[in-house]
Amino acid sequence: MAPPMIDPALFDQLKENIEKDGSIRKDLEQIIEELNQNVSYTQGVLSKVHSTPRSKYPALLSQVEGGIKKELETTTRLSRFASQHPYYKYNYKWGRTLQDGIATVLLCAWLGGMGSDSKPGEVGRLLTLEEVGEVFGVPVNLKDRDAFHITIEEYLLALISVIEDLSRLAMNSVTLGDTELAVQISGFVKDLHGGFQMLNLKNDILRKRTDSVKYAVKKVEDVVYDLSLRNLIPAKEAQ
Amino acid sequence: MEGRKMDEAPAPKRAKIVSEGTPKPIDNSTGNTMSGFKRDRQGNEKRFNNGPRPAPKPKVAVRNAYTPMFEQLRDELDAHHDRRDRLGKVSRDVTGLSKKIIFALQRVRTINPDLPPQIQAEVDSRLAEISKLLAVMAPDVQGINRYRYSRSLMCLEELAEALTFAHYLKTQTLLKPEELSAFVEELTRQGAVVSEEKEKDKDEPMPDASNTPAPAAASGHREATGNDPEPAENEQQQHQSELEPPIMSTTEDDYLYGVFDLSGEMMRFATTSTALTGKMAGAEDERTIVEDMHELGSFFEMLPTKAGDRKQWEKKLDVMRQSVRKVERLGYDRKIRGSERPQGWVPDLTVDQPGEDEE
Repeated sequence: MAPPMIDPALFDQLKENIEKDGSIRKDLEQIIEELNQNVSYTQGVLSKVHSTPRSKYPALLSQVEGGIKKELETTTRLSRFASQHPYYKYNYKWGRTLQDGIATVLLCAWLGGMGSDSKPGEVGRLLTLEEVGEVFGVPVNLKDRDAFHITIEEYLLALISVIEDLSRLAMNSVTLGDTELAVQISGFVKDLHGGFQMLNLKNDILRKRTDSVKYAVKKVEDVVYDLSLRNLIPAKEAQ
Repeated sequence: MEGRKMDEAPAPKRAKIVSEGTPKPIDNSTGNTMSGFKRDRQGNEKRFNNGPRPAPKPKVAVRNAYTPMFEQLRDELDAHHDRRDRLGKVSRDVTGLSKKIIFALQRVRTINPDLPPQIQAEVDSRLAEISKLLAVMAPDVQGINRYRYSRSLMCLEELAEALTFAHYLKTQTLLKPEELSAFVEELTRQGAVVSEEKEKDKDEPMPDASNTPAPAAASGHREATGNDPEPAENEQQQHQSELEPPIMSTTEDDYLYGVFDLSGEMMRFATTSTALTGKMAGAEDERTIVEDMHELGSFFEMLPTKAGDRKQWEKKLDVMRQSVRKVERLGYDRKIRGSERPQGWVPDLTVDQPGEDEE
């Protein structure tokens, strides 16, 4: 009797693996959905910054930090779960959500939040990829082992969101009479634009999103131009 | 004014040298009288023609507080893009070679443990080329990078298709995923040995692999391939006295999508072999390719749809259904009309005759 075409055990083996894969995805989706909610709440709180004078930042930022704390908790769960599986097999599922979460942390820190004893919060502070990793309590740009981490692409994409948000804030801060902030944003955005120009981008999502940085630069330049035309730029910043 | 111009115009160079060039040769103030630069006939420095030029000022890019950070990120991204491009190029070659193997196998007419010698020879030579290419790719896809570059490794599906097809033609059975993994691993190992022999002193820049202790661990559940790979590894470790070469691992997706495509090859094989031999491929009294196709069809129908790329799965499933239909039609034709054929009748291949049994 010739052996059968297909080994009977093979079907069960494959079926089991496919089902396992499916249930991993379901569990992941559940955690990601939760993270999504944390992130969109935090984004909502952060959006208030556009109508908040700088004197009231501390109160707003502590509320933002509350939202971020939830994000971090969920990310810890995500990290624990995802680290049990090949990272790049599933990471596309949470990439977008995690980027948005990173963006809230970056923006909060830039506005003066996320301070620690060693590094007090200060307006204009940019967290590096490594610092973001410390905030989330996860490794970054991992190469030597297969586990959950924050990638360079995720960090840069989050940074682009922050730049877009800040270019909007430049305008709104003028409305609130805080021209100094607008000028500071202008300098920051231009510096980062210079940074993004140093990257050798491929025709991928990062390149597409990076294109928007120049529009942010134009937006803040226009604001600064309007200010300088009317001699509204604070003296110390003008130099 | 006019006169002055006229005076200077005829011999401007000589005039200059006479007037201002004389003190230069004996100028000791700088300390480098005899060396460091060449002199022309008049003894003047030729520093700006042949001698060492002052280093050109580096182009000053606008730098700011964030420049170093971006430079570092850029280097990392560049390494990633380079790796992906490298893999993509080699992967295309492996795909091409795998397709050639499949074409060669389609010239086989019967299921037999031994392929016709010239076809076997062609398959072997293609496989030898593939094994070298796999060894080139392997260092870039260790550990975490295996799934990172999955999309650049489409060649493995094609290779799985070729290998499962060859296995079917020899044994009339479906190659198992463990067997596929073991085979591809062995190919990589052979390729590594060949390229090592070629250039002994080449130190391969295994960028991310150096830290992964055992590439085999990355293939996780596929370790159940039995004991045969293990001794081979040990042997190599001994006579290389180096780290074991990184291994190309195959995923279950590579296998499944490869087998999907196998159904198409089986259909093509069934059609040509029936047309040309007048017999249904397979052990006629026991099981023919019609039954094998039915079994393969039901196999995939029963499997849950693989999450991830459902569209691709559905599409492949649909193509496979059509292949099954085609082969069962062949079986029917053979039953009905085959009986009308005289015993031992074979189509006259000298006349160009499109297979009458084909659809």
